Amino acid sequence: MKNFVRIGGVILTLVMVMAAGQCFAQSASDLKINEVLVINDSNFVDSYGERNGWIEIFNSAYNSVDIGGMYLTDDPSNPKKYWIPKGDPITKIAPRHYILFYANNNPTRGIQYLNFHLKENGYLALYESNGRTLIDEIKLGDQKSDISYGRLSDGGNEWGFLEKTTPGANNYTGVKVTAGEKFVLLDPYGIGMAVIAMSVVFLALILLYLIFKHTKGLYTLDMKTLFRKKDPAVIAAPVSREEISGEVNAAIAMALHMYVGALHDHEETVLTIKRVARTYSPWSSKIYGLRNVPR
Amino acid sequence: MEHHGSFLSFVRDHLGQFFTYTAFANMTFGHIIMICVGLFFIYLAISKEYEPLLLIPIGFGILVGNIAFTPGFQIGIYETGSVLNYLYFGVLQGVYPPLIFLGIGAMTDFSSLISNPKLLLIGAAAQFGIFGAYAIALLLGFSPAESGAIAIIGGADGPTAIFLSSKLAPELLGAIAISAYSYMALVPVIQPPIMKLFTTSKERLIRMKPPRSVSKTEKAMFPIIGMLLTTFIVPSGLPLLGMLFFGNLLKESGVTKRLADTAKGPMIDIVTILIGLTVGASTQATTFITTKSVGIFALGAASFIIATAAGVLFVKFFNLFLKEGNKINPLIGNAGVSAVPDSARVSQFVGLEYDKTNHLLMHAMGPNVAGVIGSAVAAGILLGFLA
Repeated sequence: MKNFVRIGGVILTLVMVMAAGQCFAQSASDLKINEVLVINDSNFVDSYGERNGWIEIFNSAYNSVDIGGMYLTDDPSNPKKYWIPKGDPITKIAPRHYILFYANNNPTRGIQYLNFHLKENGYLALYESNGRTLIDEIKLGDQKSDISYGRLSDGGNEWGFLEKTTPGANNYTGVKVTAGEKFVLLDPYGIGMAVIAMSVVFLALILLYLIFKHTKGLYTLDMKTLFRKKDPAVIAAPVSREEISGEVNAAIAMALHMYVGALHDHEETVLTIKRVARTYSPWSSKIYGLRNVPR
Repeated sequence: MEHHGSFLSFVRDHLGQFFTYTAFANMTFGHIIMICVGLFFIYLAISKEYEPLLLIPIGFGILVGNIAFTPGFQIGIYETGSVLNYLYFGVLQGVYPPLIFLGIGAMTDFSSLISNPKLLLIGAAAQFGIFGAYAIALLLGFSPAESGAIAIIGGADGPTAIFLSSKLAPELLGAIAISAYSYMALVPVIQPPIMKLFTTSKERLIRMKPPRSVSKTEKAMFPIIGMLLTTFIVPSGLPLLGMLFFGNLLKESGVTKRLADTAKGPMIDIVTILIGLTVGASTQATTFITTKSVGIFALGAASFIIATAAGVLFVKFFNLFLKEGNKINPLIGNAGVSAVPDSARVSQFVGLEYDKTNHLLMHAMGPNVAGVIGSAVAAGILLGFLA
């Protein structure tokens, strides 16, 4: 039995280690290559006043993700082509926000400047800090001048040429309709909402009702007697479990309370100060006083 | 002499400037109305003892929020960086309501519900008020998100109303919270006529079976099963339901008495003070007195009435399927609207009016706590559909 438990423990540990190996650090998997501009003739100007191809990475998570330490590359055979320096505040991407990288093949200009140019029909990938785990990749086809290629909605799966270039902003630039507005278009009088929502409320509470209606007996099961081998020689008399109502319990509790309460005699509220014969008390001790210097 | 004259003009100018900073100079008619409302709340709390733990902080908060000041000194609740603004953060970000739910969970005894689980359904039926008010709000031209936030007033649960409106319509939060707490305080006035209207004298005399005793295991299992089941169905209700059931497990596990005592004692008191004061202060006349606020109060009343009627009528309907002896007194139907424990108390008082020996309080506590679960589930659904 002991061996069995030990083998089980080893297997469990192995599974956990393997699973951990598959995990991305700090939700790196939430980072997406979101938008790319390859041919920048008269479009976005960087802080050096130059026009370069640029890459927008989007953090699709609802927590901040640090892109520092990860790799960007345009070469499938060299995943570690550009290492994004760690520890800089700008590499920490806020929830649902973006970071831009400029592909000008001049990394001396800052950590957002890459050591490669973007090319038509080229390749672009983002790798985890181990340089092996691929986070996201895109094969760039033919490109158009000053028109960016990106996900049609931030973090979405569909790619295409965007109507507007949106570096560091939402890719979707049309009118946004909220979930509520969509819902009310289909259900202008709220009848659908009432039916759906009441059904869900009822479903939740009916399930709770059914569980507690039918599992009442489970809580009073005595597991020890259930699995104990019955001795045919001993025929136990059936024990009747009488259900005691809450009112009876309340009456018993009240009786007990009154009985216990009666044990305490209520003295008259008279305070008597009486000098005790023995004057010594630890409270007045000079030996244990706080002002003694510890030796 | 010239110096004397310049000194007087200096004093006069500065006194004049000082006067422009005082509330007298900045006061509007709206501020006066709101101060009267605050005073009325305090009067109701002290004199009538209507929900004093809530109405005193809210009433005083209304006074605090309606002292007219010159903007720009980081005084007002809506001014970034002011102390009140920091305290209001807990309301805006929905921090306080789940903490209150933790305390409610730690002080709620679900045994009446466990002993008679069919009472859960009454708690579900009373949520109809929410969706009735949602439909009316849409008809009145409120946006879907606003309608959802307003409708939750019918859940008669202050923390739930604050939580949902902070997510769906933060600009209406003050009006919704004030409306919800006002109607909760007025439960003993609003509910009895509706209960009497929809019940016959024979129905009001129905005696219910005494609840069976509930084992410790059952009580400890209830929050675990309840949490898993309700949040699997409505994950958006997790902040409220998770904390409610967690608080209840602290109580019922029997081994975390200290934590349960803190949750239901000092912690809920502190959060109640903060939520009450800041919600009250958020009713600054300049942002509060609008036609929308009037609409919210009207809709709040409508949703309360619908919810009470739905609870009572559902019991009558349910009784059609129950055997004689198992029938439920429809006077406990009103308790499905949460407002713990006031609506259950109303059931008891109305019941005693017709039969001096028919005590409905224990039975009414079942739908009452079910209403808390039901309104949190309903809030989760509204959040899921409309956010």
